[in-house]
Parts: sequence; structure tokens; C-alpha cells
Amino acid sequence: MTILLLLLGLIVLILLDIPIAVALGVVAVVAMGISGGADVLVNTGLVLYSGATKFSLIAIPLFILAGAIMNASGISRRLIAFASSLIGFVKGGLAMVTIGASLFFAEISGSAVADVAALGSILIPAMKRKGYPTAFAAAVTSSAATLAVIIPPSIPMILYGVMSGSSVVELFVAGIVPGVLGAVMMMGVTYYLSVKHNYPVEEEFEWPKVGSTFKDAGWALLLPVIILGGIFGGWVTATEGAGLAVVAAMVIGGLIYRGLDLTQLRAAMLEGGTQTAIVMLLVATSALMSDYLTSIQVPQMVAQSIVGLTDNPYLVLALLNVFFLVIGMFLHSAAAIILVVPIVMPLVHAVGIDPVHFGLVVTLNLGIGQQTPPVASVLVTACSIAKADIWEVSKVNVYFVGVLLTVLLLVTYVPAIPMALVELFYR
Amino acid sequence: MTTLAVVVVLGVVFRKAGGALVWYDEVASILLAWLTYYASSLAALKRSHIGFPKLVEAAGPRLRLGLVVFREFVVVGFFVLVAWTGWRIVQVLEGTYLVSLPWMPAQVAQSVIPIGAVLFVIAELVSAVDVLGKSRSIEERAGGEKPSGSQQR
Repeated sequence: MTILLLLLGLIVLILLDIPIAVALGVVAVVAMGISGGADVLVNTGLVLYSGATKFSLIAIPLFILAGAIMNASGISRRLIAFASSLIGFVKGGLAMVTIGASLFFAEISGSAVADVAALGSILIPAMKRKGYPTAFAAAVTSSAATLAVIIPPSIPMILYGVMSGSSVVELFVAGIVPGVLGAVMMMGVTYYLSVKHNYPVEEEFEWPKVGSTFKDAGWALLLPVIILGGIFGGWVTATEGAGLAVVAAMVIGGLIYRGLDLTQLRAAMLEGGTQTAIVMLLVATSALMSDYLTSIQVPQMVAQSIVGLTDNPYLVLALLNVFFLVIGMFLHSAAAIILVVPIVMPLVHAVGIDPVHFGLVVTLNLGIGQQTPPVASVLVTACSIAKADIWEVSKVNVYFVGVLLTVLLLVTYVPAIPMALVELFYR
Repeated sequence: MTTLAVVVVLGVVFRKAGGALVWYDEVASILLAWLTYYASSLAALKRSHIGFPKLVEAAGPRLRLGLVVFREFVVVGFFVLVAWTGWRIVQVLEGTYLVSLPWMPAQVAQSVIPIGAVLFVIAELVSAVDVLGKSRSIEERAGGEKPSGSQQR
């Protein structure tokens, strides 16, 4: 009964447009006040402080800052030129370039919204000029940006790692194969649509052009090697790797490329700080809720009631997939992870699902949620850049969401896809 | 954010050089809390905190105005409580110091909660003036259109 009332209170407050971070805090404070009296509330300030001091989450603002620095130094243009020289010769070349550049950008940025904003602002107008339908241009850019949350580094994975107590490094490694698989499948769908609708080729393939664009983008391409190599090699932790990413971005963007636009950087840092605060306030207020839920043993009760129905891990994964897909349609990915992951983790452990494998399942589900209205943060950003109607874009985006769903099913039911590299290097 | 990056990088460099900084973890965590609460006020000013505005946006002008007032009441009320409890904690911590930096009062680190909460309330109220103004003008426009509609009938 208590759980039902809590859930109802939370849903009502969220539907009344109370920010989710505040709604979590209000419901927790009211519940604690009712069960423990006003004296318990004195701890609110203490819990909110300790909730915002989780060391592993320091990686989030640092990866955002590194992405902002690289973007302000003109990295997007160099990556696009390199991708264009590599795959621009294929039918639907510019759309292929969009997916290729997203793949590269995903290795630097951990946020799909940052990815779509950085690349979409250049590639969507370019595609429109070349005669691609606006809805297609927005759809391919939006879905390709989701690669940023699957391919390391990934902000949702860092959040999941902290909320579930899993290794962020293992999660990063588990994202590599599904991310590349998603990119290849998206290119396949793009090729099919390009042949069907006769979309143009971008440029002829020429080795000298590949060489010159590689030279131009070489330092930018070296950045993920430094960051991810350091993290995967065990030389630095994920948080320290994020700190090194900032230094490497400053050196490459400021000293080597000499293209750091300080006005753009200042704006990007302010935006990055705000984005960090939005996620971190959620984390902090969720600590209040989590304290209360743990004290009344809600996660254990949820686990027991579902295990009572089935203890088949594949069936439980199917249930959780449906649940996260629905949640992802209505909630921002950070909010969904913070709200749901701590509650379902005892269930995941109880039926023997590897938490790293489950992390990939959650990330993919929420990545799909970024493409499905009503709350589709990445799709909305792409539509706003393309000045396109969200429903028109969604009709085309069905093909790419289909790809993401296929990757989700493969990741869910063929655990070797995300876990083979993890098993090979870390187990 | 920049200071946070500098602290983390210093931590890595000193650790690799064999002289780990004892204050690195604690200071970086405090900076994260400061970034969280001070930048949260900025996010409140821009109305950027994650929410679900679809239903309120779809409501009629009068109901919408009422819901906006209710929202402000709940948000401001919560942060007033946070400011009060944060202030109580700061008072309790008098005479205690950080573990890794024994010369720094713990009150300095924890002060972010009451100060951040007060800033949040100010930011919320400042931005609320704008939002309430817009809601009121929507209501007035709707109220103005209704009689003209009935005159036509």
C-alpha cells in the first residue's frame, strides 16, 4: 500500500510539471515525515549533500567539458571531412557520412544530445541542400546520435554503473560491439533507402583525399585512443580518464588545431554545467527516496514478487525490456536510470543476470526512448535543427528505431555480443 | 568545471609520480556538490530541470495558471525546507574540519546546501514571474476571445 501511494504521489507530481528531481524529494520527505516524524527531516540537508558527492559521477561533467572543448575547436568539421572521404562514395553518401561521423564523435562525447547538436547543425542543412527530404535528414542524424550512449564513453553508462554498483569500465567495453553493430546496420538501412529513393553520392573515393583528411582529423581521432586506451588498459579510472580527456582536448583544440572559439566554449561550458547540475540534482534527491525505499525494503519486495511469477532470466529480461521501453518514452534517460535501476537490481541479481549485460540492455532501451515521442530529447533536437515536424520525422525514423530494436534484441538474447570482450579482458 | 578538471588531473599526475594527493578525492567530491547546487539554480532560472510539461501545456488557460502557481508553491516549499535543514547541519558542524584538509572547516563544504537552496528559490521566483505573466496573458487572451465569439453567434 505504501509503495502504491508513493508511486501515485510521484506520478501525480510529475504530471503536474513539478521537476522530477523535486518530485522525488517531496515524496520522500513527506513519506519520511509521516513514518518518522518531523525530527527525521533534519537529515534532508545531509542526505542531499552526500548524494551529490559521489566520486565516480565526476566523470560526467568532465566528459561534457571535453566534448565542449573539442566541439569549440572545430572537430566536427574535421571528422565529417574524414568520414566523407571514406564513405561518401556510396549511394546516399551524406547520410552515410552522418552515421560515420556520429560513430567517431560518440568516442569523444558521451551524450546523444551533444552529438546531434554538434553534427546535426552542419549535416542536416547540408543534406537539405543536396535534396534529401528534411524528415529523412533529421531521422538519420537523430538515430545515429544514439550511438553516443552505446559507444564509450557514455554518460548513461556512468550513471548506471554508480546506481547499480557495476564497473563503469566493463560497461564501456560491453558497449563497443553493439555500438559498431548498430552503426553498420543503420548504414545498411540508409543504403536501402538511398537506392530506393535515388539519393545522391557525395564524392568519389580517392586515396589521396582519405590521406589528407585523415591527417587533418588525426589528432581528433587520437583523442579516443588516449582516453579509452588509458581506461581500458587500467592506467587510469573512468573518472581520471575523463580528466585526461579535458587536458587532451585543450592541447589538441587549443595548441595543435589553434581553433578554440572562446565565446562558443564559454557558452558550451555554461550549458555543460547546467546539464551536469540537472542530472546531479536528480541523483541527490534520489538519495532521499532511495534511503526511504531501502528502509522499507521495497527493492527486495519487488524482486520477491516477480521471482514468485518467474525466475527465467530471459522472461524477466523481456518484462524489463518492455518496462524500460515504456519508461524511456516518457522519462529522460538519466531520470529513468536513477528512479528504476536501484529498485530492479535485486531482481536482476536474484535471477542471475550479469549486471553489466543488464546495463547494456538498459542503455539501449533508453537510447530508443530518446527517439520515441512524446519525450524524445534527441529527436526533438534534430527536428528543431531541421525545422521539421516531429511526427513526419518519426514516420521515417521507424526504420532506424527498428535497427535499434534489433540491436536491443540481439544484446538481450545473445549475451556474447556485449559480454565477449568483457569476458576476454576482465573476467 | 575547469577547477574540477584541474584537481582530477593533478590527482592522476601525482599518483603516477608516486606521491598521491591525500585531499584529491574529498576536494573533487566537494567541487562536484558545489557544481550541482550552484548550477542547479542556473538551470532553475532557465527552467531546464527535467519535467513533464505536456499535460500542463495542454490544460485550459485558467487551469494552467492554477497549476503553475501550485508548481511554484511545491518547488519553493521544498527548497525552503532544504535551506532550513542545510542551515541546521551547518550549525551542528561548527568546530569540525575536513578529513584530508584539517585546516578547512566542514561548514565551508556543507554551506552549499543552504546557500544553493536559497539561490534556487530566488531563481525559481524570478523565472516564475515570467511564466506566470505568460500564463496570465494566455488566460486574458482566452477570456477576451470568448465574448467576441459569443457576439458573433
